[in-house]
Amino acid sequence: MNILIKGLVKEYEKVALSIDELFIEGGKIVALLGLNGSGKTTLLECIANFKGYDKGIIYYDGEEDFERVRNKISIMQQRPYIFNMPVKENIILGLRYQRLDTKIIEERLKKYNSYYNLNFLDKNAKKLSGGEAAKVALLRAVILERPLLLLDEPTANMDIEGTLMTEKLLKDINKEFGTTILIVTHDIFQAERIADIVIFMDKGKIIEMNTNEEFFNNPKNPLVKKILKRGEVND
Amino acid sequence: MEILEIILTSLYVSLTSTAIASIIAILLAVPFSIKDFKLKRAIYRIADSLMAMPPVVMGLIVFIILSKRGPLGELNLLFTPTAMIIAQMLLILPIIFVLTVRQIEKIAPTIQKNCYMLGGDYGDFLFLIINECKGEIFTSVTSGFSRAISEVGAVMMVGGNIKGYTRVMTTFIALETSKGNFKDALIIGLILLAISFLINIILHSLKGRETNEYIN
Repeated sequence: MNILIKGLVKEYEKVALSIDELFIEGGKIVALLGLNGSGKTTLLECIANFKGYDKGIIYYDGEEDFERVRNKISIMQQRPYIFNMPVKENIILGLRYQRLDTKIIEERLKKYNSYYNLNFLDKNAKKLSGGEAAKVALLRAVILERPLLLLDEPTANMDIEGTLMTEKLLKDINKEFGTTILIVTHDIFQAERIADIVIFMDKGKIIEMNTNEEFFNNPKNPLVKKILKRGEVND
Repeated sequence: MEILEIILTSLYVSLTSTAIASIIAILLAVPFSIKDFKLKRAIYRIADSLMAMPPVVMGLIVFIILSKRGPLGELNLLFTPTAMIIAQMLLILPIIFVLTVRQIEKIAPTIQKNCYMLGGDYGDFLFLIINECKGEIFTSVTSGFSRAISEVGAVMMVGGNIKGYTRVMTTFIALETSKGNFKDALIIGLILLAISFLINIILHSLKGRETNEYIN
């Protein structure tokens, strides 16, 4: 799914996000980097229509009306809301809403759970650790196989194995379905490992956007240069 | 035998009024919690104020509505258990509504957005919010029931305290006390207290221990 953003402004007490124009080509994995408060999450939530915005337009494959594309977008938030029900029901909830056949639901669950091998599918999801909850929330978003996947720091609470399996999962669905993936991360190396396009944000604006190779080998912006030299995106 | 009848009438009236008020209050509280509209604060404040409405005032209002010359006089509901249910239901409706709104308004928009993003509709959202907040909702319902079973003014006025028909525990206590029969009044008072405790324990055990929280 192509995303075209024009004149997007989101204000809280001050301007949190201000993007003149941004085009994200369908089928790409795009990493959003930036310091805390740079507007990454706000951008993701504006695209997912989780929060209204003050000005601007977002086109989804040329479609302006979000309601027409709602069922083509999945999101995993930074602090995912986990429902008070078993892990399995949390993961397949969206499939149940589609009234899919039980056999198809079970097949999808098996397919995507093979990445993490979660063996606590019957456990109440409210009792999970942060890393486990992140995996459940990610599977809940991925299992829908929608054309646009928005992920806000999906691996922040995961261990190395979980992180690497997540990256493999994202690459696999991107390859299989051509899923457009926007992933917010503080891990520069993760961005380098999986992204086709890297965007760097600062103070609500995009200060650098380039292909993976160009971004990491030939950064233009002084702040990006400094951060790449330091090796981590943290304050 | 009379005592058993009084207890059963009390339970029938209070449980029915609580059930009806709960359904209406929850169905109103959910959209109220997720939508912003012009008179929202005013409606909330009015409902909040109505929580403290004296039962006799509610009894008077329902009495006027159901009396022969009232708008619903033709239904002949005055001095029946149905009239008592109506009065109690109207009395506790604001209590359950306001307490439910207080409990769910912070979490409802998050659940709604997550539900809709997963492809759910309003019915799915309603199921999810009740499932997610059942503990909090039970607390509201318990508060409403406690108020219903313990009030005397409204049921006395619209029920008439008719022996074997509309006499409930609270009106029996009031009557026997006025006659100086403290022994019977005290026995029923203790039964009323025990039933209140029992119903509260049952509702709280249904509530469960899960709480809503974001997982980091």
